[in-house]
Amino acid sequence: MLDRLAGQLEQYMDLLSTRQKLVASNIANADTPGYRTRDIDFQFELQNAVAGEPQTREVAGLQMKNDGNNVSLDRESRLLAENALRFNVAANLLKVQIQSIRSAIKEGQSS
Amino acid sequence: MSLFSALSVGASGMAAQRARAELLVENLANAETTRTPEGGPYRRKDVVFESASTASPFSSVFDAQLDSPTGVAVSDIVTDTSDPERRYMPGHPDADRDGYVAFPHINPAEDMVDLLGSSRSYEANVAAIGAVKDMIQRSIDLFR
Amino acid sequence: MPAPVFPHFTAPSSTSPAYTAPVTAPSPDTVRLSGEASSGGGFQEVFASAIRQVESMGQDASASVERFLSGDGEDLHTTVLATQRAELAFEMFQQVRNKVVNAYQEIMRMQM
Repeated sequence: MLDRLAGQLEQYMDLLSTRQKLVASNIANADTPGYRTRDIDFQFELQNAVAGEPQTREVAGLQMKNDGNNVSLDRESRLLAENALRFNVAANLLKVQIQSIRSAIKEGQSS
Repeated sequence: MSLFSALSVGASGMAAQRARAELLVENLANAETTRTPEGGPYRRKDVVFESASTASPFSSVFDAQLDSPTGVAVSDIVTDTSDPERRYMPGHPDADRDGYVAFPHINPAEDMVDLLGSSRSYEANVAAIGAVKDMIQRSIDLFR
Repeated sequence: MPAPVFPHFTAPSSTSPAYTAPVTAPSPDTVRLSGEASSGGGFQEVFASAIRQVESMGQDASASVERFLSGDGEDLHTTVLATQRAELAFEMFQQVRNKVVNAYQEIMRMQM
């Protein structure tokens, strides 16, 4: 129970978690020479439900600085906010599901 | 890999940017320093950043070796070793036989811009820690 | 709406086992949900599998908590969801069990 309902939401939260960790790493290394921005292919990982860790890859289309670093603080800040918001939404949806199951159980208690 | 590790990453970013800012401030303060205890003018100092794996105190040995996320650390502090800038100031107490005074190679405008950049990166790391903390809190809220 | 179906009662003949067999009220501890009973076997299996499922969810939750506490990189939301699942499964099971026991007791009261 809760597997079918929450399974996808949990996977969504897992991926958002992983992505946010990468964003934190990118931000911490925004001034590290030679550091390349890392990310996951969110949609791909979501649809393919691969077991184990999602695949980290480099990001295309970023501007390279003189020292070989290509972190864009604008991009990372945007992703930071977006990931946190989506995680929030998923957590709230899960909470509602859990509460409704719980109240359904409690309701059957009156006999 | 838990979200908690991302907190360590953000913290490492904050520490690194602070070290960078401290050196930039020191450079700016000593832009005109012609006399130092080591002899000669002040020499510009710079941080070198390097990616470093961050293990939180809570992570197990297994996790720390396997998959700890990438933070940042100051790997080195380099001192400017190039010849100092020489200006012709005959009346200066530190002038040499020819009347030249050795000054540090510091461009204050450049270091000010760097300082602004460092401050911005610092704030971004603070924001990262805040966002991650919020996500962890949401997970806790799922309990009730 | 389809017409309601009423069970078809016929008076047992005087030679059928219902008249000649000794009447003893079965006590709770002698009743067995055996495979031969009309719906007993199926129900027992459902019950047993429910118990197994609740227990396995409980074990998953414990394992997840342990991984989280020992810093093995378990995400907190994974642990929370595992424990919530286990808790809900147990609560649901408890309710079902209570209902079954109540229903059984009611039947026992009726059977006189």
